[in-house]
Amino acid sequence: MTTSEGVPKLLRAEGVGKRFGPVEALRPTDFSVEAGEVRGLVGSNGAGKSTLIKVLTGAYRPTTGRILLNDRVVQLGNPHTMLRQGIACIYQHSTLISSLSVSDNIFLGRQPATRLGLVDRRRQRREVESLIADYRIEIDPSMKAGSLSTVKQKEVEILKALALRAQLIFMDEPTAWLSHSEVQKLHRTIMDLKRRNVGIVYVSHVLDEVFRVCDSVSIMRDGAIVWEGATAEIDRPKLINIMVGEKLGRASMEAGAQVRKPRGAGEIRLSCRALTRKNVFTDVSFDLYAGEILCITGLVGAKRTEVAHGIFGSAPLDGGQIEFGGLRARFRSPKEAISRGLGLVPEDRRRDGLLSAHSIADNLVLVALDKVSRFGVLDGAAQRRLAMRQTENLAILPRDPSAIVATLSGGNQQKVLIGKWLEADPTVLVLDEPTVGIDVGAKAEIYTKLRALRDAGQAVLIISSDLEEVMAISDRIAIMVNGRLEAIHDTGAVSREQIVAEIGGD
Amino acid sequence: MFEFESIAVLRRFPGLALLILFIVLFSLFSVFARRFLSAANIEDLLAGYSFMAILAIGQAFPIIARGVDLSVGSNVGLGAMILFDLNAIFGVPGYAAIPLAIAACALAGALNGLLVTLLRLQPFVATLATLAAYRGGVYAISGRQLYPEFAMHSIRDPWIHSLEAYVDVGRSLGLGRLMKFPSIPLSFLILIGVATAAQIVLSRTRFGLDLKTVGGNREAAHLAGIAVNRIQVAAYTLSGFSAGLVAVILVARFTTATEAAGTGMELTTIAAAVIGGVSLQGGTGNAFGPMLGAFLLGVILIGLTLMGISQFTQQILTGLILLGAVLYDRTTWDHEQAAHARNG
Repeated sequence: MTTSEGVPKLLRAEGVGKRFGPVEALRPTDFSVEAGEVRGLVGSNGAGKSTLIKVLTGAYRPTTGRILLNDRVVQLGNPHTMLRQGIACIYQHSTLISSLSVSDNIFLGRQPATRLGLVDRRRQRREVESLIADYRIEIDPSMKAGSLSTVKQKEVEILKALALRAQLIFMDEPTAWLSHSEVQKLHRTIMDLKRRNVGIVYVSHVLDEVFRVCDSVSIMRDGAIVWEGATAEIDRPKLINIMVGEKLGRASMEAGAQVRKPRGAGEIRLSCRALTRKNVFTDVSFDLYAGEILCITGLVGAKRTEVAHGIFGSAPLDGGQIEFGGLRARFRSPKEAISRGLGLVPEDRRRDGLLSAHSIADNLVLVALDKVSRFGVLDGAAQRRLAMRQTENLAILPRDPSAIVATLSGGNQQKVLIGKWLEADPTVLVLDEPTVGIDVGAKAEIYTKLRALRDAGQAVLIISSDLEEVMAISDRIAIMVNGRLEAIHDTGAVSREQIVAEIGGD
Repeated sequence: MFEFESIAVLRRFPGLALLILFIVLFSLFSVFARRFLSAANIEDLLAGYSFMAILAIGQAFPIIARGVDLSVGSNVGLGAMILFDLNAIFGVPGYAAIPLAIAACALAGALNGLLVTLLRLQPFVATLATLAAYRGGVYAISGRQLYPEFAMHSIRDPWIHSLEAYVDVGRSLGLGRLMKFPSIPLSFLILIGVATAAQIVLSRTRFGLDLKTVGGNREAAHLAGIAVNRIQVAAYTLSGFSAGLVAVILVARFTTATEAAGTGMELTTIAAAVIGGVSLQGGTGNAFGPMLGAFLLGVILIGLTLMGISQFTQQILTGLILLGAVLYDRTTWDHEQAAHARNG
């Protein structure tokens, strides 16, 4: 850190707070960033990080406080002003327009114009090419953004910020969908930006990354910043304790030290032989035992999700055999899979998993409608009982089954999604990236729940790119590379480095 | 394999597929429908579908902004009746009445935009409501019903009349003696002007890109500092403006305004826009696609009429073509999503 008195702070927020009706999402808070500083911003879901970012980027108008840029007071609640002043934000969810070209996206909303008022494509292209050369990002500026891979799209978002000559860039969970080597590439770009005196606010649940790239860290809890200081002054356990409180902190630390149960009870619940889908995956074979947690890991694009959907009947299979509970099975639809006792918690909870405009209770009964209806008519009392049971069981907050799912934090939404499948009593439960974008506390709770399922004799298959998670929770690890299942290891007998090497990361 | 590659090419240039389809159908009807490839029939096609094409280009703007304008047909009726009333009852000369009628339609379009943005109504619901309301307005102000003496009145204003003109391309190029060329209706030339202007606006101006951004990802547009509401209101205003142009063309053509003028045009224009590659998912579209889409519908309907297929069948057919176009739009969208998932 380069702190010196008298140098104006790049950005200083004084007493900014935000209230939505009776709810105080952000208590009056001070926050500042210097030029060339990488600041980590961590906190559980619902701690107020998003609100703080939205206030600082002008997406929300704060109810109290003021914001200064280079010691000058700025107009609040106007994203356009903040952009013009060089405050950019890379949001967790893509803000690219898939039908527009890369260079049109980079200049979104502020394209250079010729004297006739037409967009100056030549100048736009020249600037984009010089940026690409400058930061050594390989991308074709005339490609449509929709045809790019997720990583390339992230790079376009970064270019978008760079094209603004941004002094300060907010990055909200920038690595959520990136593979290991891509994360490293992003971190190199961040270091490059830092050398060019750009300030960066790095929001992430992945604490390893925060410790690796951030100079300093701000910890948020319950709508306020509760600790701030150099990264060197704090270690991981202390940070977690501050973030989620003593009890949960301990639980998440203990999550790593659990008794493993490779091959559980010894009874094979799901057996896959030579599963193949043309041009997608080939010859995938594995057995899943009752009472174990098997993690399939690999890079983004290794086709793990596609295998899961192939088994579940929601995507085609071109070849191979599946035995489910000892019987031949080739599910033609999710409905058939569910009725036989297979559950799948999908990856993108907002798109595939939840009815966000509906209540917790409505979502929870979705796959277990038979249980709460008689002759096709829904039994309201039974539905409420079931919903209460799962909200208690999974500690979903708020503890009100009638709360609308869209208003919950990511972690609680994920719990609702898992709860929904638990109600169907699956004998085999498949979870695809069950903890992406959710905080340590909720993660620990979900891990505890999954272990309880395993100990009760269910077979659990988890698809995860988060190696920390894979090492913590799995009994066995299957490795997929480019549509092939390369190896299966007992978790105790393999090191993290070995797995990184096998999945093809750096 | 050759076949797959040609499909891939078509995917890259969606306009090309449409053009090929157009040419194929045109050739088929030329061979199988008697009188189809005659100068008179081409004139009918140009005169009968140029205004539909203008309306379809107007319709493209709200659809690109991820909305839809169901009220265009009623708006055409409203504009036509206002023009009729101004000229027939109040004696306002054409040079003043025409801009006033167009402005009224643009205003009615802007009102749609305000309902969608300020009241946050679904575009479908908001413009369904104004479809009914504007049509009601047409009956309420109908000069032909308020003053029985105007029931059979026909407009004789020279300004309005001059819009119903034909340009003899054959003679002006000195080729008239070689073969009979179709005369080009003025409305077709207006269409070419509208299409060129709209294409430049959509592909080369800030407004066009902002419009696609709003339709492609509203939240991203807001965060990029784009005035989302203003863009949406502008899109509906342009749709209204095109309805005004069409109203004037129709009054010039029929020298009167009926209460039913424009009825049902919303469906045809939506079909033409979607056939022309304007995605109902928002964010994509150009001006020439809807134009070609409108004439494609025209070729099919006129061709079938010449082959002796009834008017009612044609309405069923319009519905089926719309359904087909929407399904095609849906599958290409799914395809892109799948391609995206593969890359990701």
